[in-house]
Amino acid sequence: MDMSEKDKFELENRNEEPMNYSPSMTYGFGGSNLTNASMDLVPTGNSMADSKEDLIGSSSQPSASMVESFSPALWDHPTNAQNMGFCDINGQTSASTSNTMGIRKGIPASLRSGIDRPLDMCWNPPNSMLKGGIFLPNGPAGMLPQSLSQFPADSGFIERAARFSCFNGGNFSDMMNPFVVPESMSLYSKGGGMMQWAVAGQGTKAMSSNELNQVGDASNEVSLPIDHGATDGSPLKNEKKSESLVKSHDEAKNAMDGSGNESDEADFSGGAEEPSMMEDTGVGPSSKGSKKRKRSGQANELDQTKIAAHQSVESTKDDTEMVQKGASTTNKTTGRLVKQGSQTSDPPKEEYIHVRARRGQATNSHSLAERVRREKISERMKFLQDLVPGCSKVTGKAVMLDEIINYVQSLQRQVEFLSMKLATVNPRLDLNIESLLEKDILQSRVGPSSSMGFSPDMHIAYPPLHPSQSGLIQAGLPGMGSSSDLLRRAMGSQMAPMTGGFKEPSQLSNVWEDELQNVFQMSYGTGTPSNSQDVDGSGTPGHMKVEL
Amino acid sequence: MRTSTTTTSSGITLSTKSCRIKFARRFLRSLAEIKKQKRSSASSSEEEICKRSKRIKMAAYSSMARAVGPRMNWSRALLFKLRNRVSYPRLVKKKKRVTVRSNKVPRSKSSVHIDRGNKLRKLVPGGKSMDYICLLEETAHYITCLNTQVKVMQAIADNLSK
Repeated sequence: MDMSEKDKFELENRNEEPMNYSPSMTYGFGGSNLTNASMDLVPTGNSMADSKEDLIGSSSQPSASMVESFSPALWDHPTNAQNMGFCDINGQTSASTSNTMGIRKGIPASLRSGIDRPLDMCWNPPNSMLKGGIFLPNGPAGMLPQSLSQFPADSGFIERAARFSCFNGGNFSDMMNPFVVPESMSLYSKGGGMMQWAVAGQGTKAMSSNELNQVGDASNEVSLPIDHGATDGSPLKNEKKSESLVKSHDEAKNAMDGSGNESDEADFSGGAEEPSMMEDTGVGPSSKGSKKRKRSGQANELDQTKIAAHQSVESTKDDTEMVQKGASTTNKTTGRLVKQGSQTSDPPKEEYIHVRARRGQATNSHSLAERVRREKISERMKFLQDLVPGCSKVTGKAVMLDEIINYVQSLQRQVEFLSMKLATVNPRLDLNIESLLEKDILQSRVGPSSSMGFSPDMHIAYPPLHPSQSGLIQAGLPGMGSSSDLLRRAMGSQMAPMTGGFKEPSQLSNVWEDELQNVFQMSYGTGTPSNSQDVDGSGTPGHMKVEL
Repeated sequence: MRTSTTTTSSGITLSTKSCRIKFARRFLRSLAEIKKQKRSSASSSEEEICKRSKRIKMAAYSSMARAVGPRMNWSRALLFKLRNRVSYPRLVKKKKRVTVRSNKVPRSKSSVHIDRGNKLRKLVPGGKSMDYICLLEETAHYITCLNTQVKVMQAIADNLSK
């Protein structure tokens, strides 16, 4: 993602933050404090509902969903933010909702992803769309645009966004209306509707998460839960409600976490809030807040987007962690957040990888760092597992590492052997062959036979290769005959280093060659002549094994 | 064959196709040079073959390292080592980073990584000066490059021996 953009946004957000969020917002999520919140929300609810409606109407696009998620956030703030003077956004509901996601007019052109561009366009109109005090401050608006700009062009995200937009079966307007929607709005009234989205959470976790994020709780960090598929939001969310507002974001995030995929969107929405929150926390514009998150299949992409969008400090201590690196704008270590059991281990510093302790786990900085390291190592091991053939079944790092070492050794030996072979090959043709060879190499390379090469050291460690190779093994008998000399010489020269001399390489090589021929004849019959040189002695590893 | 581009978690993109092409070109050129030498000398004794094979091997590694470029630790270390080897054939020594027990008795879980990490360090050029995580990354990249190297050399050998 665009770190630079994020930085820009961060800066913008920072400037605007003080206006946006006031720590005084105290949404009673416990369900008992609905009245206050609801009162506040009511005036804005209408306008918000309208604008939301508009936004939602266009929710067919993923950007729309994001907008939707953001707009509530903005609207929530008005309750506190009435005094903020956001009045930038005039409640002009733009008719064209289809692309009117643009919350912010000034969305930087830096939005690069495909999603971003439409978002960009979309966002602008919504600014005007917002009514009733819900203002996406163009100036201070850093929040939304920032997060938006940082939306990754992640297909997964798009899906989630789409899902998000389809929240509530498309009857979004009802949801938007605080008075009408019972569930969703209940939360909304409680805490600016963030929670309710979460509660309503009918699979649109993003929505809830966005809502949650948008609740202007500066201290809360947007948690980027990446619990994909955990869509059991409501019970979880209900739990969360009971917590204080300070933790509300956490809770929301927890709820979102339960919801999983949508959390990504939540992140973005949270990002909108975060700038203001960051201000509150007084965190400098340093990019931070790389939150440590669980890596899912899409985690990488999501992470980046989250980093961008994620500016809020707080992250609920969910079970999910996301690892985010880079210039995240989130002000992670707001000490003022008192979360259950999770404490940011690192002070807010620039370019640090901020890790949040998982729920119920040690928060010692050492253990956190170790966990980061372990996760990195396991990540790379997975990648290596894909590279090394026959390692998919292997479990355990020790065996994997052994396999990797063996594979590297065998590859190096193959190179050595092939160089010997090339040394002995008579350059019958001139080096104009180069062009021919190049063509050949570029085209024909994929043949599995060529990949095997002739390795005198039959690596028994790669049996899975052998069965597959046997069919292809160009037994090379036709070629064997012609290349017997080469083979002998190659074997001889290769044996020489081992034997330390040239005493009996020829004999050995002869023996080897005979055996090889026999082996191949028996095992593979007449292979295709094209790969005559490919001899895979897997048939009789015992014969072939050469101890180097 | 694997996809032409692979991306590690850290974002290192392994573009095998272009890598392959570059390597093939360089290697063929150096191979041509060596072949010229062979023709001029016209000796096919075992020793000559041995020397030539070593030269070819060095050419293969250096062309691969150059094809990869200086962005990877192992390619830089490999080029450095090859250059030094040419001028000082026997001065290049490897220091043991950690004393590894001959019988791999895992003392603890971490020792698994340490023991094998040391082994990997010996195998991967430049591995001595990298931490474990970077070592794993470099190993991944190195493996893909070795694969392409083997394939190219195999194809060349096939063509030349036809």
